[in-house]
Amino acid sequence: MNRKTLLKRMVHNPFFMSGIIIMVILLLILWIVPNLIPYDATTNSLLEMNKAPEWFSRGFEGHVLGTDSLGRDILARVLIGGRTSMKIGLIVVFIEIVIGTTMGLLAGYFGGIVDTVIMRLCDIILAIPNLILGIAIMAVLGPSIINLIIVLCFTGWVQFCKLTRNNVIIAKEMEYSKASKAIGASDTHIMFTQILPNVTTDIIIIASEKFGQAILLESALSFLNLGIAAPAPSWGNMISDGKSFLMVYPWIAMSAGFALMFCVLASNFIGDGLRDVLDPKRY
Amino acid sequence: MVKYIFKRLGQTVIVLFFVSVIAFLLIRLAGGNPALLLAGDGATDAEIAEIERSLGLDQPLVVQYFKYIGNILRGDLGRSTSYGMPVANLILSRFPNTLKLASVTVLFGCILAIPLGIIAGSHQGTVIDFFATLFALLGQSMANMWKAVVFIYIFSVWLGWLPSIGMEGGIKSYVLPVMTLGWQMSAQVTRISRSGMIDTLHEDFITATYAKGIHPLVVRWKYAFKNAVCPVITLVGMRFGTMLAGTIIVEAIFSWPGLGQLLNTAVNQRDYALVQALLLLSGAMFAIINFAVDIINSLVDPRIKLR
Repeated sequence: MNRKTLLKRMVHNPFFMSGIIIMVILLLILWIVPNLIPYDATTNSLLEMNKAPEWFSRGFEGHVLGTDSLGRDILARVLIGGRTSMKIGLIVVFIEIVIGTTMGLLAGYFGGIVDTVIMRLCDIILAIPNLILGIAIMAVLGPSIINLIIVLCFTGWVQFCKLTRNNVIIAKEMEYSKASKAIGASDTHIMFTQILPNVTTDIIIIASEKFGQAILLESALSFLNLGIAAPAPSWGNMISDGKSFLMVYPWIAMSAGFALMFCVLASNFIGDGLRDVLDPKRY
Repeated sequence: MVKYIFKRLGQTVIVLFFVSVIAFLLIRLAGGNPALLLAGDGATDAEIAEIERSLGLDQPLVVQYFKYIGNILRGDLGRSTSYGMPVANLILSRFPNTLKLASVTVLFGCILAIPLGIIAGSHQGTVIDFFATLFALLGQSMANMWKAVVFIYIFSVWLGWLPSIGMEGGIKSYVLPVMTLGWQMSAQVTRISRSGMIDTLHEDFITATYAKGIHPLVVRWKYAFKNAVCPVITLVGMRFGTMLAGTIIVEAIFSWPGLGQLLNTAVNQRDYALVQALLLLSGAMFAIINFAVDIINSLVDPRIKLR
C-alpha cells in the first residue's frame, strides 16, 4: 500500500479521524490551559471548598469546573493529572513494545525450547487477571510512579509478545527471510532488518489500544489508592475522592471521568480505525 | 480427545505451580519479618529466633514453599490478621456473592452482545453496525468506576429508583453492578463476534451455502456463527474467570460483600496471608476456566485438537 492510498484511507475512516482529532485537542488542552489558569493543582483553599462550576462566567479567573472538598481547583487537577497519565501511558507502551517485540521475535524465530519457555512465561502472567496482579504487586512495592510503571509493563508486554511471535512464524517462512539466510545473513540481521519491518502493522494497532488500557489500569489502581498517591492529582483518585460526595457535589467525580473517557475513547478509536485502514481485506 | 485433555491438564498444572510460586515469593518479598510482627515491640533476639523457628522461617525457601503447598492441599490457607479468622472460612463465606454477581453479568452480557455482534457483522457498514461499534467502543473506553459513578448518580441520586450499595435489595441491587460490569463485557463480546462474523462470511463455504439456496438468516445464525463462536467462548470464559476472582472496583463502589472487597480490605490492612490466598485463588479459577474453555472449544471445533 503506498503512502497516498494509506492517507486517503485514513482520512475516509470516521473512527480513525475522530480519534486523532479528540487526541490532538486533548493534548493541546492538557499542555496549554494549565498556563492560563491562576490555580495550582495541589494547593488547598479552605475558603473555597466544594464550589460549583462557574464555567466561563469569569473566564479562566474563576473555578471553571468548581473546586473539590479541600478547595482545590478541579480544572487544574484534571489537567495536571491528565499530563501524568499521558506520560505514564506513553512510557509504559514504549517499554512494552520493546520487551514484547524482542521476546516475540526470539520465540518465533528460534522456536523450540526458547519458544516454549517464553510462551509459558506469557501463560503464567496471563493466568492472573491484570488488575489483581497489579494490586498485589503494588501492595508489596508501595505506591509510587516508578512502581506503577513497573507493574503496568509487567502485565502488559504479553500481548505484544504473543502477536509478534505468531507473525514472525509466518514471516520466517517467507521467501525474503529464506533468501537472507541463503546469502549468509546473521540471525540478528534477519530478525531485526528483514522480519521486524514486516510485522509492525499489528504492533502499531495494538500499541494505540494498549495506550488507553494502560491509562485505564493506572486510574483503576489510583482509584484504589495504590497508584498515584494524594495529594498529586490523577483521574483515578479524583473519581475516588468524588464518589463520596456524589449526592451533594457531583461535579467532583464527573470532570475526571469525562477526561478519562475521552482519552481512552480516542485511543480505542485510533486503534480500531487503524485496524480497518491497514487491513487490505476490509475494503 | 483423551490425549488432548491430558495435555491441556498438564499445562494447567504447570501454570498453577508457577502461580503458586509467584504468590509465595511475592508475599515473602513484601518485607517485614512476620516473626517481628508477631513478637511485637521489645522482644529479644532470642524470642524472635524462637518464633522464627516455630514458623519454619529459619529453613530454606524451598522447604518453606513445600510446607506452604502442603498446607494449602490440606485446606489450610493461613489466618487472616485483619479479620482474625481462618482465610479459608473467609473466602468460602464471600465466594457465593461473587459467583452470583459474575453469573448474572455473564448471562446478561451474552444475551445482549452475541446477537448484536452477529447482526452488526452481517450488515457491515450499516447504521446498526455503526451503533453496535459505538456501543462497544464506549463500553470499553469508560472505566468501570466511572460507569458505576454515573449510574449511581442517574439511577440512585437523581431518579431514586435503585439502591447503590449492598445486596440486601434483592433483584434491584443487582441492576447497577450488573449494568456496570455487563457493559464492559458485552462491549468485548460484541466486537469479537462482529469481527468473527465478518471474517467467516468471506469464506468459500458460506458462498456455497448461499448458492444452495439456504435462507440468509440460517446461514448467518447457524453456519457462520458456529465458525465464529470459538473466540467468543474463550473471551466469555476469560471474563467469567476474571470476575470470579472478584470484581474489585465494582465491589468496592457498590459495597458488594464478595471476594473483590475482601482483596481490597486485605491490601489496605497489609493482611498478606489473605492477599496471597486470593492471588492463588484467582490464578486457580482462571486456569480451571481456561481448561474448561479449551475442552468446550475442541468439542465445537474439532480442528483445534490437531494444533
